[in-house]
Amino acid sequence: MGKKELREELLKALSDGVVNFEEEKVKETAQKVLDEGLNAYDAVMNGLAAGMEIVGDLYDKHEYFVPELLMCADALYGGLDILRPHIKMEDLDQRLKGQVVIGTVQGDVHDIGKNLIKMMFEVAGFTVHDLGRDVPLEKFAEEQMRTDSEIVALSAMMTTTMMGMKKVVQMIKEKNPNVAIMLGGAPVTKDVTDLFGADGYAESAGNAVQEAIKMISRLREMQK
Amino acid sequence: MVQGDKATVIFQPSGRRGEVRRGLSIIEASRQIGVDIETLCGEKRVCGKCKVRIEEGFFEKYGITSTEKHAGEWQKEEEKFINAEQREAGYRLGCCAKVEGDLLIFVPEESRAGKQVVSKAARDIHIEWNPAVRYYYVEVSEPTFESPTADLERILEELNKRYGLKDLDIDYVLLKQLPSQLREGSWKVTVAVWMNREIIRVLPGTVEGYYGLAIDVGTTTVAAYLCNLATMEVIDTVSMMNPQCKYGEDVMSRITYHMMHSDGLEKMSDDIIGGLNSLVAQACEATHPPKKKKAANKEKPAQIEEGRAYPCLDHTDIIDMTIVGNTAMHHILLKLNPEYVGVAPFPPVIHKSMDIKARDLGIQINESAYVHVLPNEAGFVGADNVGVLIAEEPYKKHEIQLIIDIGTNGELVLGNKAKLMSSSCATGPAFEGAQLTFGMRAAPGAIERINIDTETHEVDYKVIGRDAWKTYSKPEEMQTKGICGSGILDVLAELYRSGVILKSGRFNPNQKSKRYRINSDNNQPEFVIAWAEETSIGKDIAITQKDVRQIQLAKGALYCGCKLMMRRMGIDKVDKVKIAGAFGTHVDREKALIMGLFPDCEIDKIVSVGNAAGDGARAALLNREKRQEANWVSRNVEYIELTVEKDFQQQFMEAMQIPHMNDQFPHLKGIVPDDILSQ
Repeated sequence: MGKKELREELLKALSDGVVNFEEEKVKETAQKVLDEGLNAYDAVMNGLAAGMEIVGDLYDKHEYFVPELLMCADALYGGLDILRPHIKMEDLDQRLKGQVVIGTVQGDVHDIGKNLIKMMFEVAGFTVHDLGRDVPLEKFAEEQMRTDSEIVALSAMMTTTMMGMKKVVQMIKEKNPNVAIMLGGAPVTKDVTDLFGADGYAESAGNAVQEAIKMISRLREMQK
Repeated sequence: MVQGDKATVIFQPSGRRGEVRRGLSIIEASRQIGVDIETLCGEKRVCGKCKVRIEEGFFEKYGITSTEKHAGEWQKEEEKFINAEQREAGYRLGCCAKVEGDLLIFVPEESRAGKQVVSKAARDIHIEWNPAVRYYYVEVSEPTFESPTADLERILEELNKRYGLKDLDIDYVLLKQLPSQLREGSWKVTVAVWMNREIIRVLPGTVEGYYGLAIDVGTTTVAAYLCNLATMEVIDTVSMMNPQCKYGEDVMSRITYHMMHSDGLEKMSDDIIGGLNSLVAQACEATHPPKKKKAANKEKPAQIEEGRAYPCLDHTDIIDMTIVGNTAMHHILLKLNPEYVGVAPFPPVIHKSMDIKARDLGIQINESAYVHVLPNEAGFVGADNVGVLIAEEPYKKHEIQLIIDIGTNGELVLGNKAKLMSSSCATGPAFEGAQLTFGMRAAPGAIERINIDTETHEVDYKVIGRDAWKTYSKPEEMQTKGICGSGILDVLAELYRSGVILKSGRFNPNQKSKRYRINSDNNQPEFVIAWAEETSIGKDIAITQKDVRQIQLAKGALYCGCKLMMRRMGIDKVDKVKIAGAFGTHVDREKALIMGLFPDCEIDKIVSVGNAAGDGARAALLNREKRQEANWVSRNVEYIELTVEKDFQQQFMEAMQIPHMNDQFPHLKGIVPDDILSQ
C-alpha cells in the first residue's frame, strides 16, 4: 500500500471511529499514524475533526443527542491526547487560529455545553483557557488580559445567571473593545446577544467554531 | 380611531377590547386587556406558542381599520414558527408583533391559555386532630357595681377557669368589636384562640363548625383545600392557574422578571395574593346552595339540599390558613427578594416557618387570622417539599423511600428514620407540556394516555374531558388539541416499547407504519399520534425527534438525581418509590418504569401519592404539631447539590437513554419485548 492510500485509510478510520464513538479504535489508529510517520496535524484536522464535523451534522438533525455527542467526544480526546504532542510548530504557526477564554458564569454550575464548545475549539486548533464553572465575573476580564485572547466565550444555562453575562461584556469591552465575545446556553438568543452588546452567539456546539472564526476574521479586518 | 400615542386593540373570539399605548407588544397588550395567550417561554421568542392572526380591513362594528402594517416590523424569529402561507394570512407571534395602530387580533384556539384541569384532589391521609385555632364556648356574668371588671378580663378569667388557658392576648382589631359581640350574645360567646396564645375571634352564642384553608402555591397551579377544623373534613378543593404564568412558565423566568423590572416583585406578589383571594371567594361560594342569593348577612343556618350541608361561609369565617410552595413562589408571595434563590449556591432569605397576620399580606380571610407559611429546606427545595415530607413521613419508617415530586422542577427525597436527604433536578417544563411541538397543559382535549400496538404501530389514546378512547370514537368526536404531562410520559415509554424509537431515543430506521415520516417543513423525523381529522386544530399532532430529545433530558435529570442520591446513601435499591405531583395521580407506574424515570424496582413497590405537598399543607392546618415537625425536618434533611458531583455529566448522559444506557431493568422482563430490552 502506498503512503497516500495508507493516509486516506487512517484518516477515514479516525473519522469513523469518532462518529461511531469507538475510543479504542481511534487510539490504535492514532498510534499507527505516529508509527507510520504520518503528519499528526493532518490526522487531527482531516481525521478527528472531520469526524466531529459529521457528528455535528447528525446532532443538528437530532439523530445524535447529548449522550452520543459526549461519547464521540471521548473517542476524539482519546486520539487527540496521542497526536497533539507530535504536532509540529510550523504546522501550527501557519494556521494559528487564536486563543479563547471560556467558562460558565457565576451562579451557574451547568457545564456540559461549555465542555462541548471547548472541545470544538481545541479540535479547530485554538488555544483554550478554560476557567471552569461558577466563574466570578471579573475573572473573565482578568484572564483575557493575562492571555491576550481574541475571544471570550461565556456560557449560562439559567435565565438568572445569564444576566451576569451583561456585566462581563461591559467589563471586557471597557478595557479592550477589540475582544470578540460569544454567548451560549439554553436561555441565550440573538436578541440577548445584541442587548448585552456581545459579538456573537452559538445555538449549538456545531456552529460555535464557525461563528468564532467569522468573528476573528472580522476582528483582523478591523485591525488592519 | 384613537389619536395620539394610544391605539385600539380588539381580541377575538373573546371580543375584549381596550386602548393601549403604541409600541407595546401584542402579548403586553393582551395582558392589559385581560386576554390569556400562551407564553410558555416568557416572551423570549423561542416557543412559538403565542401565534395570533391580524385581521385585515375596516371593521364597522368596532369603527377601526386593522392591518398587518399596524403590527410592527416582521421579526426574524417569527420565520421559525410561521411559514409563508401563514404569513400571507396575517399570522404573527404575539411577543414579536407590536401595536403601532388599531388592530383586530384573532387568537387561534391553540394559542389560548386554556382553563387547566387540575388533579389536586385531597387524599385520605391520617392526621391527628390538633388545629392551631380552636373554639371555646364561655358564659360570663354581666358586670355589676360589685364586679365592674372589663369585658376582656371577664372572658380571660372564664377561659382560664374552664379550659386552663393562661396569659392570652387579644388581636387589637378584634378588641374593637368585643363589647358589641359580647352583648349581642347576652354574655354567652364562642371564642377562637390561636396557638393557646391569642384570641382572634369572638362570636355571639354557640358556633359549631370553624374553617381553614390549606394552600399549595405551585409554579403553574395553585390549589386550595377548604377544611372544617372541627371535624377535619375537606369541604371542597378549588384550584386555578398561577396568575404569574403570564410572566413566564418556570421559576427562573419569574425571578428574571423581578430582576428586569423594578416593580416586578410587587406585581407578581399582588397577582398571587389576588389569586388567593379569588380562591377564598370561590371556596366560600361553593358552601352556599346553588343560585340562591345570600340570605341576611349574619344568619347562617345549615341548609340541607339533597343530603348536602351548606354552611354558607363568607371570608370572615376562614380563621386559619397554611401555605406551601417552592422557595421562589414562597419569596415572591411574601415580597422577599428572590434574586439570590436563582443564583448558585441558591440561598433562601429564610428557612423557618412564619406566622403573619392575613391582613398584613392583603389576604382576605378573617382579618384577625394568621397565615402560617411553612419552612424552606433550600433554594430549590422549598416549603412544598417540606409539605411532601410531613405528609409522607419517611423519617418515621424503617423502609427506605424514594419520593419523586414532579413539577416544573423535580424534587427528590431519599431515606428513612436514620437519614434523610433531598435534592432537586432541573427537569424543565417538558413534563408540563411546554417546549414540545404539540405540548399543552392538562386541559380538555389534551392527550393523557397513549398506547402503541407493538405489531402494527397503530396508536390508541384518550383525551381529557372524554371517557371513550379513540378506538371507540368517531374521529371528529375526539377534538384533540395536544399532549399533556401524563401523555408525555406515556409517549416515550410506548414509542420505546413498540420499537418505534431505539434505546438511544433515535427513530428506528425500520418503520412499520405511515405514521412515521419526515416533516418537509423542518426536515425532521416525526411520528403522528393523532391525525388532523381527530383534532380541533386542523393538523396532525406528532412527536418529533426533537420532542423525544426534550423528554429524554427531563427524564435523564430525574433518573440521574435518584441514582446519585442512592449512591451517596450507599444503597443500590429502595423499598418504595413514591411519585408525587399535580399529575402524580395520573402517572401510569408501569410506563414510568419503562421510560426509566428512576432506577429499576418491582412494579408493586411504586405508588402514586398525588399532590403530597398539598396534603402536607392540610396536615399543618389540622395539626399544630405538624408545624413544629416541619421546622424540625426542614433543618434535618440534608440538601445535596447534584450538579457538583464529579461524574454528574457521565451519569446524566447515561440516564438519558431509555430506560438507561447501562443499568439493567430485570423487572421490565415480560413487560417490554426481550429484543427491545436487550438493545
